[in-house]
Amino acid sequence: MKLQSHGIETDLPPGWEGRIAVRTPPDPAAALREGGGSRVTSRGHLDEAIFPVVHLGNFPLPDDRGDFGSGAVDVMADQDVLIVLAEYGPECANTALFSRQGMPTKLTPNMFSSAALQRTLPGQAGCQLWFTDAGRAFCLYVVLGRQSNAARVLPSATKTLSATRIRPR
Amino acid sequence: MIVVVVVLGAAVAVLGLLVIGLLRSHAEILKRLHDLGAGIESEPTSTVGSQPSMPANPQPGRDFQVMPQMPSPPEREGFGGAADLAGTGPGTGEAVTLRVTGVGHDTIVAFLSSGCVTCQRFWEAFRKPRKLALPPGTRLVVVTKGADAESESAVAKLAPSGVTTIMSTQAFTDYDVPGSPYFVQVHGPSGKVRGEGTGPDWDQVRSMLSQATDDAELAGRLAGSNVAKPDADAAREARIDRELFEAGVEPGDPSLYAVVGDDPESGPAHDGEADPR
Repeated sequence: MKLQSHGIETDLPPGWEGRIAVRTPPDPAAALREGGGSRVTSRGHLDEAIFPVVHLGNFPLPDDRGDFGSGAVDVMADQDVLIVLAEYGPECANTALFSRQGMPTKLTPNMFSSAALQRTLPGQAGCQLWFTDAGRAFCLYVVLGRQSNAARVLPSATKTLSATRIRPR
Repeated sequence: MIVVVVVLGAAVAVLGLLVIGLLRSHAEILKRLHDLGAGIESEPTSTVGSQPSMPANPQPGRDFQVMPQMPSPPEREGFGGAADLAGTGPGTGEAVTLRVTGVGHDTIVAFLSSGCVTCQRFWEAFRKPRKLALPPGTRLVVVTKGADAESESAVAKLAPSGVTTIMSTQAFTDYDVPGSPYFVQVHGPSGKVRGEGTGPDWDQVRSMLSQATDDAELAGRLAGSNVAKPDADAAREARIDRELFEAGVEPGDPSLYAVVGDDPESGPAHDGEADPR
């Protein structure tokens, strides 16, 4: 099943589904009401440049998800995998943090740790990798529903990443 | 005299034209009735007092009526196909793919429209997902047609926050949806449609779909209660078949159906066709 938007495309293997979205920017009027003049709102900073975020999972993705999977990780079962591809601004491309070139496609169990989770949940483990592909800077964030299942579920995640392409802007 | 003859001739001509016109009109009416399936003498074998026969392909309007604002059922036998869903999120431009087949959960796909009157009841009901009493392990997905056939802003306003809503004209084609509102329940592991149809409100649709689920589960239980042939019997049967085949006795051979005392060469001992059992 193909998924394509914002110059990112993937061909999802059986059992996987996905979303590619750009978060709705905060409404300045609402920000004024919320913060009494502050430019920081519950939906982000008013001056924030917003870039696409990809969520891929082998489980039903809930509608209410944060950029790094909050909301989705809460409903993950032991066999579930969540892949997040979050794009950063063009100024980040090829900088030290994003010096790795190309999409990482080989994930191994020893790359995962509960310390890498954005939100620590019992049994879960995460992995974060930063890279530049097609001149665009991305963070790859992968969450496993249960760390002990890594060897069993990672081949499917690797296949999904291998089928994902990023085109230049 | 000549004038009278001419007048009478004209009158006959006019009346003749009227008769021709009436005959043509009558023929047209009969043709239309025939097209509608109500032609005279269409069922010559029917007798007075017999039960009306069930049409092979019942058609709405001819064989039954549907409620106003409700789509007529599709003109096909059996359920339609199921497919994974791909579309966009209303008002967000989000690219969405939802897996319906080959997954552990079942999915109820609700095909709605922003404009249809009956759909409003479903949009309203879906705002309270906890009150929907969905079967355990079942995902509800609302699908409208794409932005080419729907008002995206209207769908975005109607889309309930607790239920995934996508816009996809392709899904209407994939599921052979006759109109909105329409509901299809897909069994995730098999990817097959378990039930489909429509109703005036969620309670009726839920009842219809739960009945379809019950039917499928009953069929599964009945299939599961069949006693398997013991392995030894199956192995013996396979060995005998193999040995007979090697000896030149193929399925249907007359010698297989001979009774004791008959000459196998003369064919079956009883009259008629050999029983292939």
